[in-house]
Amino acid sequence: MNPLREAQLSLQTRRTFLSSVGQFSLGAIALHAMKTDALGAPAANDKPLAPRKPHFKAKAKRVIYLHMSGGPPNLDIFDHKPELVKRSTQDCPDSFLKGRTFAFTTGVPKLMGSPRTFKQYGQGGLWMSDAVPNFQKIADEVTLVKAMHTDQFNHAPAELLLFTGHNRQGRPSLGSWATYGLGTENQDLPGFVTMISNGVQPSGGQGCWGSGFIPSVFQGVQCRGKGDPVLFANDPPGMTRDLRRATLDALKDLNQRQQDELGHAETVTRIAQYELAFRMQTSVPDVMDIAKEKPATLEAYGAKPGESSFANNCLLARRLVEKGVRFVHLFDWGWDFHGTNPKEDIRDGLTAKMAATDKPVAALINDLKERGLLEDTLIVWGGEFGRTPFREGRTAKGEVLGRDHYPDCFTIMMAGGGVKGGFQFGETDEMGFGGVKDKVHVHDLQATIMHLLGFDHERLTYRFQGRDYRLTDVHGHVVKEIIA
Amino acid sequence: MPSKAILFLGVFVGTLCPAEPINFSRQIRPILSDNCIACHGPDEKARKGKLRLDDEQDAKRDRKGDFVILPGKPEQSELIKRIESTDPDDVMPPPKQHKTIPPEQLALLKEWIKQGAPWGRHWSYEPVARPSVPKSGEASPVDAFLADRQKQEGLTWSPEAPKSILVRRLALDITGLPPSPEEVAKLAGAKHADIVAHFLAKPAYGEHWARQWLDLARYADSAGYPSDPGRVIWAYRDWVIKALNKNQPYDQFVLEQMAGDLLPKPTEDQLVATAFHRNTMTQNEGGTSDEEFRNAAVIDRVNTTYAVFMGTTMACAQCHTHKYDPITIDEYFRSYAFLNQSADSDKRDESPLHEIYPPGVKAQRDQWTKDSAAAEAAFKKPDPTWLVGYDAWLAQGPKLTDKPLKAALDAPKEKRTKAQEKLLSDHYVRNVSPATKAERTRADDLKKQIAASAPVTVPIMQDLTGEKRRKTFIQLRGNWQALGDQVDEGVPTHLARWDDSAPKNRLGFAHWITNRDNPLTARVTMNRLWESVFGVGIVRSSEEFGSQGDLPIHPELLDWLAAEFVESGWDTKRMLALLLNSRAYRQTSAASGKRNEQDPDNRFVARGPRFRPSGEMLRDQALAVSGLLSAKMFGAPVRPMRPNMGLNIAFGGSGDWQTSTGEDRHRRSLYTDTRRSTPYPSFATFDAPNRETCVVRRDRSNTPLQAFVTLNDPVFVETSQALARRLLKEGGATDESRLRRAYALCLAREPDAAELATLKKLLAKSSAEYKADAALALKMATDPLGPADKGADISTLAAWTAVSSVIMNLDEFLMRR
Repeated sequence: MNPLREAQLSLQTRRTFLSSVGQFSLGAIALHAMKTDALGAPAANDKPLAPRKPHFKAKAKRVIYLHMSGGPPNLDIFDHKPELVKRSTQDCPDSFLKGRTFAFTTGVPKLMGSPRTFKQYGQGGLWMSDAVPNFQKIADEVTLVKAMHTDQFNHAPAELLLFTGHNRQGRPSLGSWATYGLGTENQDLPGFVTMISNGVQPSGGQGCWGSGFIPSVFQGVQCRGKGDPVLFANDPPGMTRDLRRATLDALKDLNQRQQDELGHAETVTRIAQYELAFRMQTSVPDVMDIAKEKPATLEAYGAKPGESSFANNCLLARRLVEKGVRFVHLFDWGWDFHGTNPKEDIRDGLTAKMAATDKPVAALINDLKERGLLEDTLIVWGGEFGRTPFREGRTAKGEVLGRDHYPDCFTIMMAGGGVKGGFQFGETDEMGFGGVKDKVHVHDLQATIMHLLGFDHERLTYRFQGRDYRLTDVHGHVVKEIIA
Repeated sequence: MPSKAILFLGVFVGTLCPAEPINFSRQIRPILSDNCIACHGPDEKARKGKLRLDDEQDAKRDRKGDFVILPGKPEQSELIKRIESTDPDDVMPPPKQHKTIPPEQLALLKEWIKQGAPWGRHWSYEPVARPSVPKSGEASPVDAFLADRQKQEGLTWSPEAPKSILVRRLALDITGLPPSPEEVAKLAGAKHADIVAHFLAKPAYGEHWARQWLDLARYADSAGYPSDPGRVIWAYRDWVIKALNKNQPYDQFVLEQMAGDLLPKPTEDQLVATAFHRNTMTQNEGGTSDEEFRNAAVIDRVNTTYAVFMGTTMACAQCHTHKYDPITIDEYFRSYAFLNQSADSDKRDESPLHEIYPPGVKAQRDQWTKDSAAAEAAFKKPDPTWLVGYDAWLAQGPKLTDKPLKAALDAPKEKRTKAQEKLLSDHYVRNVSPATKAERTRADDLKKQIAASAPVTVPIMQDLTGEKRRKTFIQLRGNWQALGDQVDEGVPTHLARWDDSAPKNRLGFAHWITNRDNPLTARVTMNRLWESVFGVGIVRSSEEFGSQGDLPIHPELLDWLAAEFVESGWDTKRMLALLLNSRAYRQTSAASGKRNEQDPDNRFVARGPRFRPSGEMLRDQALAVSGLLSAKMFGAPVRPMRPNMGLNIAFGGSGDWQTSTGEDRHRRSLYTDTRRSTPYPSFATFDAPNRETCVVRRDRSNTPLQAFVTLNDPVFVETSQALARRLLKEGGATDESRLRRAYALCLAREPDAAELATLKKLLAKSSAEYKADAALALKMATDPLGPADKGADISTLAAWTAVSSVIMNLDEFLMRR
């Protein structure tokens, strides 16, 4: 193609994108969202996923968010409450119950101190229980945010609030905001990847990684350890790579003729997308193949090729960010410790669940550190809410010890990406009923993550239905104290 | 170059021609709205400096000798001084808003004040006035308006597209399905208007346009939220198809969906129509409050009503008085009050339900139910002869699985309670006794008949009466438990006046929407129609007609269409035909460099429209050209092939499904079981919404994941295989005749020599590969379609499958040209 023609086409492609994709599309980025620098660097807008600069210098370049669907029992992991242990089996004080509703508890439940053993670890003296032997070893790498709180006490709305800033479906997710703002480093892989372990998708559904009203190129692409690594990425059973190339060559030739005849930029884009798809058919399975890892690495994570375990997903998360993926969001099912069955028991049940969790998480943090990636990769580990300091009402008569959903306080663990190590922030009261010092709302967490990525969360916006929307809605304060 | 693009986006506000009078609504209001109104607007609580810039009187009033806007004197107007100020404490907008007014907008503001600062309302709240049609020699008023505008822009019409291309374009736009080659041949000599009429008369029209309406209605076959159980509501989907096919006047279409139940003596169809507002989600997760989620459903109904019918975003006013548009929080909850009387209350059974029976069946089934009850009662008071053999039966020690029964039997005779004894003897009489054989058979038959004649149910709207009626309170900051003052039913009357003779209920609310004085209803609907036909609306933000939405690129044309629509008796098909018969529509979609440069989105329609159809249409089209598509209409949702993801829904069952059998595998996409938590993957990849809430406008992305779908999704592999078989059967004996047949089926045109050469080359290469590898060929030709006809040449079929897949991935196939 002659250079003049090429320049013309690239202009048309850009124009098409400016005006035809989504509401305001990248025009919106230029005109509304990133007024500060986008006008100065319009070339970055030619491709929606091309890497872009944030508002200011970022501490974190990428994020791995490890979400424990269901709400891990913070009082049995990080939040040590000796007073609660002393008052175990007493009636829950009326002052805590008055005017409140709980998901599955009515009447007056009994207080329940943790049956677990707590000690302090690392130079920061971080409290951790015997449920997390591997977290204990990385205490110097992490910040514990101990007075987190949310507005929602049911799974779906709480997850949506945490990941989209709003308790109902329809808003862009954290990962899609990050990708919208920053683009991605590797154009042969999706910019935002999600993976699910333990066979159940989160209550908040696909909205947890959806793009809401911003262009769908920014939504999370679900990758899988088994089957097609990305939906429909595998050629049909009777197609060889060689023939696939030949079919795409024919297609490209015919589409190019169409483009010459009709002059539509959209056609140019389509040709490019088919070529990208072809490259992804190699790059995605390649990055998703953990069999290429050293046995020692597999062992450190507890990963086994061919499974779709949380351990495998942690290892895949490292492989993906290493290749330039901007945001990796893992969802692990099985953290809803009501006590309705032995798996949901805060004693052995939690020990078993954690055995499959804290080892790969610790391995991931160590692995990133060894590779020099931890300093600019933000890791977040946590659930959508906490659990009650009392025994859950429904299961109180049984043998299994469980706790109900609880929005007023829970712990989030963060590491890398500009966050302090060996640090705990915030306190809850002596019974674990609520934050008493340095409370952090989920909107504050969102604001802080965006800040670490180099964005003023109030300025990264997208105009929809006449309003400039942002991840934090009309809330959110950056928690500067946890930043190194 | 980027500055040009920006100028284009800002076409109304960007350029300044001092000679021309400034238009407040189009040029000034957007600047004020974007930069000032949030703090100086209708929202009393947010208002700063006791200033309203949305209110002419307040903006121009004398403030102790100072004026925010002093008509004729920009230099004395505080508005200008503040924008120009360099003092961070004085400058407007304040620095923390991160907003700046660019010099060209400032110049406009100055010029406007100089011209006397004439005021006006936001354009879409002004009544629709039928503008006179420009004299431009065009037969169609639509073309007259466009030609006039093109002239101003220095553009001219493109030539008419070839007939066969137009036939395909019309078929896809009207019915969502491609024309058959026979249809193309038959229509080759027909007049354009007759072709339009031909396709408008097809039942597929209703199916195609219903799919679009169902996005607005947030229709799904599941209840939503985490557990997302199935919901039976497909009778509503069928109602939409039928209503569109019989071209029900739009005002009636709206009335029945909003309040069919409140019409005098409502028909069954009118009741079914009200399921429109029963498409809200219900929350079945344990521990959730029914009242909270009933409230969420009512909120959704308010927002959907305004979004769908009036292009108005109400969600802002749910928490606070709208910051940009004159809608207060009181008015929001007055609208809420209309919808707050519906009897449904977030129950798992979705009550209230309407039961639909085929004619005559209900009376028959009622009789069966009565007879069945009588028969069962008789068994409980048995004739002594019926108990003959009872003791012997007991002595045998029969095997019983029912727990209470087994307990009764296992108890020693003397220890059996009376109730246990009765349980056993009843069981004997009802299920074992030889003497009751005839009675038993009859009773069982009755039960079967009752089960077999079970009605189709559909959730409907039904208002509470008397003491059960709910009171409505303002919810403070959107919190359903923080209640403010009580409010009565009412509407924002500055949008349109309320007819005092109308009842103060949902029906009155619906009449307010369809009243010809309502400035929004007809405009919003015509804009959506325009968007469907031309790709982009006259108002680009078809979901938002308020002051934060985009301005119409051709306001007179939109108003003319709106006026014509109302005067035609809200005749949707007539208006659609008007657009489809226009010269604008008939143009070739080829775009010259100049047209692309000047009007990349084709907003001035100086060429024919061209855009990518929905994922549903792409699947339907592939099924149609391959010959697999089932023509069956209506009925319960079906489950076409879908990849198993091996995932469960949170607190629900498997997200995977069992594929339907027979022709149900290949029904039109609109009949696909729509699950909110697990949307059909390929549709979602092509930007289908998950139907949780109303979506007025879909995105049209172009991504590599879409290439994966149309190349590798088994649904599309199957259609390639079927097309290959069809070509070998119908396409004559040569490669070339088969390729010609493929182009006729898929693209409604002849291939040229170069295209033939490219495809022949691919065919030769594929044939060679598949001849060399029979196992590979078998997979390519039959997985998943199934065995080929006996004696078929598998390697040839496989090679043609590869070629068919290429043709069905052509940009021209994936785009409506």
